[in-house]
Amino acid sequence: MKRSYLACTVARTAALAAALLLALPALAKDQLHLYNWNNYIAPETIKRFEAECKCEVVQTYYSDNEELLAKLAAGAKGYDVLVPTANAVQALIRGGQLKPLDKSQLPNLKNVDPAYMNSPFDPGNQYSAPYAMSTTILGYNDEKMKELGLPTDTWAVIFDPKYLEKVKGRVTVLDSANELFAAALMYLGYPANDTDPKHWDEAAAVIRKAKPYWAAFNASSYIKELTVGNIWLVHGYSNDIFQANLDAQAAGRKFRILQGMPKEGAVLAVDNMVIHKAAPRPDLALKFINFMLDGKNSAELTNLIGSGNPNADAMKYIKPELLKYPAIFPPKAVQAKLDQLKDVNVAQRRLRNKLWTEIKASK
Amino acid sequence: MPRRSPWLWAAALVAYAFLYVPLAIVVVYSFNDSRLNAEWVGFTFDWYRKLAANQEMLQAAANSLLIGLAASAVATVLGTMAGVAMYRYRLRLLPVLVLTPIAIPEILMGVSLLIFFVLLNVTLGLVSVALAHIAFCIGFVAIVVRSRLAGMDETLTEAARDCGATPWQTFRHVTLPLIMPGVIAGALMAFTLSIDDFVITFFTAGAGTVTLPLQIYSMIKIAVTPEVNAVSTLLMLLTLVLIVIASKLSPSLFRSD
Repeated sequence: MKRSYLACTVARTAALAAALLLALPALAKDQLHLYNWNNYIAPETIKRFEAECKCEVVQTYYSDNEELLAKLAAGAKGYDVLVPTANAVQALIRGGQLKPLDKSQLPNLKNVDPAYMNSPFDPGNQYSAPYAMSTTILGYNDEKMKELGLPTDTWAVIFDPKYLEKVKGRVTVLDSANELFAAALMYLGYPANDTDPKHWDEAAAVIRKAKPYWAAFNASSYIKELTVGNIWLVHGYSNDIFQANLDAQAAGRKFRILQGMPKEGAVLAVDNMVIHKAAPRPDLALKFINFMLDGKNSAELTNLIGSGNPNADAMKYIKPELLKYPAIFPPKAVQAKLDQLKDVNVAQRRLRNKLWTEIKASK
Repeated sequence: MPRRSPWLWAAALVAYAFLYVPLAIVVVYSFNDSRLNAEWVGFTFDWYRKLAANQEMLQAAANSLLIGLAASAVATVLGTMAGVAMYRYRLRLLPVLVLTPIAIPEILMGVSLLIFFVLLNVTLGLVSVALAHIAFCIGFVAIVVRSRLAGMDETLTEAARDCGATPWQTFRHVTLPLIMPGVIAGALMAFTLSIDDFVITFFTAGAGTVTLPLQIYSMIKIAVTPEVNAVSTLLMLLTLVLIVIASKLSPSLFRSD
């Protein structure tokens, strides 16, 4: 009574192939392909743009600039707008992957705070328009830090054994050589982008000395660890620390998770909208970029995830309580101490990898 | 029946606990009334309700299923043919060609397939991902089928030929039923490999094509919500159903013979 298995299989395959082919004509509708970070645009913003352009926004996600670079370098196409961080923008420009922006189509570009325009990564903003930003700072459990009497405005608290002794095993730092070296360099009083090998050795020594006090190198689950109360102090991204506090409040915790801006300075990461050179719909891409440069639309992302906002016109739409965070909206004095990380050259990268491996392997 | 030592029982218990406790935790926490999912708060169906409204996640799950079914179906047919050919003709080059994709690092295969698709001007999407999955699944099916054939009594096919069966009839009525457990095991393996593949899928997926592993991975940076537990639980259920169906189709698959 067994039916022919082979015949079944063939029939099933044919049916699926037909289904796949039928799915293709759906692509005929006007679509904007946005290659973005996950949860990096408010759903209501998308809805409004879709209504305005009478098109559909299709999002695909990456979780790392390197992922985006690798995929595009291999020749992937079909994406209109990408949202890479500034140093990745520079790499994409060098690789000839981007289409210059037609600024006559971007009247809202004037809304961007001049402090965030004309960065060394894309002089004159030929290819990129700032979208949102974050800083790499300290995040801490206010109750515990007050109890222990620790400062929260200096990198010393995650590097100096004098402080670390009190929070041993309750601290995590980012699992990123670039970010951690930048923090250690600033702690030593050097610029974040310092490339002097002697200074790097000093920074590595600082990191090695502090490592026994840290619970982990953690770049993914520290939000949760902070919220639960297992970890009291982190070196992390401002958006994540903001999220951790929202989660902690929603879970009814007694403590708050606050952001600490180190007085030595911090790393700033600005994400930018760019158009891929093989964009199927550069017209929609420009419309989208201009739309996102509008203050109200830009503010919605900040209200959603607590990202920094380079858009001067957005300030009046941002929830007033957010404007008080120095890590999200750095005052002028702090702004001067923020640095965007530059790419290092091959020899420097090799040296840093070597130092990083030694750090990871040390007891 | 020989008495088994308590140590053996203990070892088996520990091994099964290692395999199944993490899965059980995923299922239990899909009913947890907390977005953080760090400790047990209370029972809720909320995450399933949220999942039902989450178009992106559902679309990703549907894509994964569609690709998994299509890739495993095609890979099973081609892989069975390859397995039979490797066993029957003992060619030296064929096994190398069929089995290389198993040994090749996924990252290499992903990048090379992407470059290949771009060269041929294939639009990246469901079809390119399915093709890539078929390519790496064939080898696995072929291996299982060939080892099943190796245990088969050669005289049976000879008897069929003696009775006047054509090669096709011999294959259809003698060989295929005998190797069916291998074919089904190969199909299940291909399905599983396809549905959880990340690296190759990442490179061959186009704008707007998201599969479940891609979707979950992109969420890790922000915090994975219990919706992921919910969708994983549903997938586990589906896998269970598939295994039950397979065992009904071919009862010998789960018996040692």
